[in-house]
Amino acid sequence: MDSEDDMHDANDVESQDDFYSGDTGVASDYDDGGGYEEEEEDDGDYCFGDHESDDSEDITSHRQQQNYTILGEVDICQRQDDDISMVSTVLSISRVGASILLRHYNWSVSKVHDAWFADEESVRRTVGLLEKPVNRPLNAGELTCGICFENYPRNRMNSASCGHQFCNACWRGYIGTSINDGPGCLMLRCPDPSCGAAIGQDMINLLATDEDKEKYNRYLLRSYIEDNKKTKWCPAPGCEFAVEFAAGDGSYDVSCTCSYNFCWNCTEEAHRPVDCSTVSKWILKNSAESENMNWILANSKPCPKCKRPIEKNQGCMHITCSPPCKFEFCWLCLGAWSDHGERTGGFYSCNRYETAKQEGVYDEAERRREMAKNSLERYTHYYERWATNQASRQKALSDLQQMQTVQLEKLSDKQSQPESQLKFITEAWLQIVECRRVLKWTYAYGYYLPEHETAKKQFFEYLQGEAEAGLERLHKCAEKELQVFLDAETPSKDFNEFRTKLAGLTSVTRNYFENLVRALENGLEDVNQGSCSKTPGGKSGKNKGGKTKDGGGSKSGLDDPSCWSCRCSPANPRSKKTCGQCNGHRP
Amino acid sequence: MANSNLPRRIIKETQRLLSEPAPGISASPSEDNMRYFNVMILGPTQSPYEGGVFKLELFLPEEYPMAAPKVRFLTKIYHPNIDKLGRICLDILKDKWSPALQIRTVLLSIQALLSAPNPDDPLSDNIAKHWKTNEAEAVETAKEWTRLYASGA
Repeated sequence: MDSEDDMHDANDVESQDDFYSGDTGVASDYDDGGGYEEEEEDDGDYCFGDHESDDSEDITSHRQQQNYTILGEVDICQRQDDDISMVSTVLSISRVGASILLRHYNWSVSKVHDAWFADEESVRRTVGLLEKPVNRPLNAGELTCGICFENYPRNRMNSASCGHQFCNACWRGYIGTSINDGPGCLMLRCPDPSCGAAIGQDMINLLATDEDKEKYNRYLLRSYIEDNKKTKWCPAPGCEFAVEFAAGDGSYDVSCTCSYNFCWNCTEEAHRPVDCSTVSKWILKNSAESENMNWILANSKPCPKCKRPIEKNQGCMHITCSPPCKFEFCWLCLGAWSDHGERTGGFYSCNRYETAKQEGVYDEAERRREMAKNSLERYTHYYERWATNQASRQKALSDLQQMQTVQLEKLSDKQSQPESQLKFITEAWLQIVECRRVLKWTYAYGYYLPEHETAKKQFFEYLQGEAEAGLERLHKCAEKELQVFLDAETPSKDFNEFRTKLAGLTSVTRNYFENLVRALENGLEDVNQGSCSKTPGGKSGKNKGGKTKDGGGSKSGLDDPSCWSCRCSPANPRSKKTCGQCNGHRP
Repeated sequence: MANSNLPRRIIKETQRLLSEPAPGISASPSEDNMRYFNVMILGPTQSPYEGGVFKLELFLPEEYPMAAPKVRFLTKIYHPNIDKLGRICLDILKDKWSPALQIRTVLLSIQALLSAPNPDDPLSDNIAKHWKTNEAEAVETAKEWTRLYASGA
């Protein structure tokens, strides 16, 4: 019953699922199987077909459900207590003994049972649980303490199960020294060098100072979380919740009650779709070069037109310089914003390093002369976008909070809407926060995407660009268009229209990002498969299953490289370079 | 100062070290600090250190006996578990220390370490490597060092 093994098994099942459904397009069976995710939210009564009757059913049938539990201190104590009771009852040993055993076997009840019933004697010897004393002092009136060499009457001396007698003062010192040395005190043994008898909590309670007892109890509680393979502390500073992670689901993302999201596997902040090793590489790189970056990326940028310094104080990338300049530009590439939207028939491209390079923004010859500078430049490109999205996310988080604490109430007043009808705004902001997080990590993904995999890179940058554009639309709508209604004096008849728009954008963006995450986690393998081999029952069908019309739109370019999508048409044939309706260019 | 309020245990240990010294070992407290001991260990017979007289210093920290004594070779010695500063790699001086151990047991353990070097748990990598690749030659060097630095001078 090794929990880790269970976990990996589950993952394997998971990834195989995806592999088969995406790869061979096993037609409708898996189509249904894919649809359940969405069904789950809407109506929970979806049933599996017979083909999933093996054990993977338990594991995967509730993919959207939490496969972890957040534990407060009371829960932790309760669980620890339950485990101790269980072992104590099953093995017919004292609770103190059960606690010592559990600590030794990393709080795995099953491991304790297995080991104990395999060879009780050897387990007893290893952990120091003696059945009878090895030392029986003579019935003398006084005994000499083996530590301070003083003589004491029997009633001022004590021993563990082994019978080695030491005076109470020396015990207190011995236990205190050990407790102040750290959590090793949980494995304390009799001071006699030839004796391995365990010193349990009963001895601590009997002999230690109150302060030391308190520390010991903290260590015991911590050990239950830290030594147990199924639990970890939430890594957020000051957070005192722990997380129990159960086998299942392919995702390691955990959302703590304190609102911090982190990856169970590496305990860094949540980083889907990027894998843990990429994250650790990226973080290492950032820490190595962050000084440089801080220097390069001051908090302000000069307006590309009037050169006045501009501090970005809002989340979205569409910047309008203050009057009289009023130049509208993109914060990331400093290009005119008019080059960005679909209005001009251009497409969102400032996420592209290659494009910028081709346009001569980076001087080719200069870069060849300075290779070092080149790699820094490339890194800067990705880091800047990573960091900007990070900052944007932080801003969105505080905006969300502000929204929940102040603005919604205000809006409710002004627009005569009950607050329950304004949930769509909170949802939009939550989506923005999540999307900024995903988008941020796609830049780490992009940085490590091999240069020579040109097709993948292009496809990736297209997806990323679309994601960025979609998110910008949503962010702008939630930030700027909402402001109008907040500033209004009287209820506006346009508010319902705004509601439909924002809710629609939220939904479209959510779908797009979910698909993006899935595609990137798949390593963009569709690109390698060649574009036309897919059957309709493949992945794209799966993702659309059971979804609203919003879902279909902008994402099919993601799923099926034989087509490409623009704003208006989900599936432009690959043979055409521009969209017949909006004149949008193929990536 | 340092000698005032000397714990009874240290006084008793000192008395016993002086009255019944362990074979091949002598330890006597310094006159101005009863927690500081001058130690001499004779190289054990049938070891590369045979015939040598090794000087050590031993200090009982404030926390003694809850904390281990601090011991260091003053005489230069070629041994895989002793570095060039004389520091000793011995479990009972670190995590395996127990307050039920004594100065005597510590010194006996050090004497035993001279008889049985343990190159698998080295303090000095170079010497340990020498020991493992060419034990005969390493033993020769140890004998040479004993002659050079520990010949009773």
